[in-house]
Amino acid sequence: MKNKNINIFRQIIEGFSHAFRIWMREFQLIFSDVGVMILIFAVPLIYPLLYSFIYYPEVVRDLPIAVVDLSHSSDSRQFTRDLDATPDLKVATTSISMEEAISMFKNRKVRGIVQIPKTFSKDIAMKRQTTISAYADMEFFLYYKALMTGASFVSLETGNQLQIKNLMNDGLTERQAQITAEPFKMVDNAMANQAGGFASYGIPAALILIIQQTLIIAIGILAGTARERHIFGTLVPMDRKKMGTFRLVLGKAAAYFTIYALLCIYMLGIIPEWFGYGQSASLVELIALITPFILSSIFMGLTLSVIFKNRESAMMLYLFTSIPLLFLSGIIWPLSNFSTVWLAVREIFPSSNAIFGYIKMNSLGATIFETRKEIMSLWIQTGVYFLTACITYGYQVNFSAHLRRELASHSYREIRKKIGIVG
Amino acid sequence: MKSILINIWKVAVREVNRMTSRGLYILVVLVLPVLSILFFASLFQEGVPTKMPIAIVDLDQTASSRKVARNIDVTPVSTVTENLQSETEAMSELRAGNIYGFVVIPKNFQSDILASRQPVISYYYQNGFLIAGGLMQNDLTLILHTLSGGINIQKREAMGQPEDYIKSQVQPIQLSTHQLFNPTANYSVYISTIVLPIMLQLFILLMTVYSIGIEIKERTSHEWLRLSNKSIFTAITGKLLPYTVIFFIEMMFQNFMLYKVMQIPMNTSLGWLMIGSFLFVMAYQAIGVFFIGLLPLMRHSLNLAAFYGILALTLCGFSFPIEAMPPVFQYWASGFPVRHYMHIFQSQILAGFEPRYSILSYLYLVLFFLLPLTIINRLKSALIYQTFIENVHQT
Repeated sequence: MKNKNINIFRQIIEGFSHAFRIWMREFQLIFSDVGVMILIFAVPLIYPLLYSFIYYPEVVRDLPIAVVDLSHSSDSRQFTRDLDATPDLKVATTSISMEEAISMFKNRKVRGIVQIPKTFSKDIAMKRQTTISAYADMEFFLYYKALMTGASFVSLETGNQLQIKNLMNDGLTERQAQITAEPFKMVDNAMANQAGGFASYGIPAALILIIQQTLIIAIGILAGTARERHIFGTLVPMDRKKMGTFRLVLGKAAAYFTIYALLCIYMLGIIPEWFGYGQSASLVELIALITPFILSSIFMGLTLSVIFKNRESAMMLYLFTSIPLLFLSGIIWPLSNFSTVWLAVREIFPSSNAIFGYIKMNSLGATIFETRKEIMSLWIQTGVYFLTACITYGYQVNFSAHLRRELASHSYREIRKKIGIVG
Repeated sequence: MKSILINIWKVAVREVNRMTSRGLYILVVLVLPVLSILFFASLFQEGVPTKMPIAIVDLDQTASSRKVARNIDVTPVSTVTENLQSETEAMSELRAGNIYGFVVIPKNFQSDILASRQPVISYYYQNGFLIAGGLMQNDLTLILHTLSGGINIQKREAMGQPEDYIKSQVQPIQLSTHQLFNPTANYSVYISTIVLPIMLQLFILLMTVYSIGIEIKERTSHEWLRLSNKSIFTAITGKLLPYTVIFFIEMMFQNFMLYKVMQIPMNTSLGWLMIGSFLFVMAYQAIGVFFIGLLPLMRHSLNLAAFYGILALTLCGFSFPIEAMPPVFQYWASGFPVRHYMHIFQSQILAGFEPRYSILSYLYLVLFFLLPLTIINRLKSALIYQTFIENVHQT
């Protein structure tokens, strides 16, 4: 009995030390491969900086527009000045014809046109409704938004003042007139990213996606390279002693986990701090979300890595998913408009829940409890992909062991021929 | 001349044989691009997001407050999915991601209106998602303004003002908005028309680099050059020809999906569309050749192609306007064919401007063809001397 206990104890110790050796060997493989080093270190270091600089202005300000003033009155000139005074718009030119304005628009000198009708001043004097026409540039969503925000703000404000003035002429007090024009007040509260900045909206998603994609591609590249390096194209080296699957999977995962845990300090800690992106999440909350995210990405990477036969396979076959995954996360297109099929596909990739959860925590200040759905999904993914990684690696381990046994009775050439490697 | 054409043909035939011999080629050239096109076409089917879940916090519970709630529910953009008891509860739901926004109708809303005490309606929306946030804001502002106008009208009627006069006074200045040269404010137009070419350029870049790089890696470049009578131009033309044809067909398939299936307006002739698509494919192939010539070790040139290809999403300017970026990136953006392709799309295809407004963009695309000339000698020597072979230690 006592003997047995010691045996189990020794086995555990041995397992750990073996896993530790695999861990260190994986480090060695990573650090001796320039291509993988660039992918794991240069990309996560450079991309966030690059994106932050590109999006640095964050919002569109002073969109150049043409005002076609057909009214030529003091009212229309005041209206034009009000447009110019909004942060969104800048009146580049006035007093031109619609044809000239359209020509400027086609040449991209102006990005929108506001037309003030001939009867503008007269309508106001006669207390008739008047119509301002705004022609928006559909090239960029943000241009469209800027013109609409600016033009509707000025129209509403001017209209409101006119209404109050007319009501006061009808004998109401100023306060009564205000309340009639505006029976209740509206308060607009933009949650998360109050300023509507583009970087604050896009970069958190990019950060999470970069972590997952570089991890999966790096694991895939190393797997492809291993197959190229091994004489029979096996994923697992044909060591004398059969390798334990658990030790193999855990040892490899430990190597990537340590590297990415350190990278996350930079990507999710320093970058948001430098550029002032939302950082409502506390350290504990971030750890609760990011730990299962990194783990599930690693195990997914290990599972996928068995299909990459060559070094370049991962880049060729997996990189393209980055763009669809950004859309699947639900930050661009609302999830309520996803079909069931895409909602299901969305659940395959850890990035979807991690991006959603990260934005919720960091920009809205959601607690761990409020992010439980995402965190639970990530842990489920971790579990599932750990199992699949063990199954696929277990198969590879057995395959290598099998080939090693074959070596006793067959020549290299025979075995290579048997498993389909020519030459 | 004739012998050159024959050689090009021979190289092309050899390439087609190589393509059919490995699964990777079929996947990258055919399966994955077509899947991507179908994915985006299906995702943006609806054009404009509808029925985004929002909540109402009705603290008043009167006829007036219920009317406000009902009106918010019937707008196409949002659907009221929850009626909650308090602002805190609603905020928690928003943070949990179950709703995109909520409206708080204050206590005594109805009596305050009647007593002219100007109550306050607050609305909150998730602005961390750009499209959802913007739509939510527009939608809620619009509906609340309409409701406010309704009360205004009732009051004026009570004051005995004539109907026509009321109409003109409630909204003295009306804003009529027109989308210049594009009748639909359709989001899928913004997104899918640019994302699809971006997906395709990624495949073109990777495939071009791979198809040449693999000859260096697997030391088959001599055989390839022999077949082309040692002319690097013949060798590259012949090799890329099958891909040009396939990717061009895929461009046209993508155009078919966009302009026929998704019914995005197309205001140019098929001829121009084909020229644009063809130049787009060729420009990216030229860049691919440039990358592998610059870094003949495939592992590095593939990294470069990946870096450049992914960056196109940002620097083509579809998400964030180029003019609003810092100047350095504005110049940098010209180095992406997809940027020029997008310009052609916006100006000629969507807006229907005369071709002269986008002729410069066509010229830019052609300019990319010259890129391989700068590295052609380096590439040729890499193919001949095979000096860029990675050393693989077999164990």
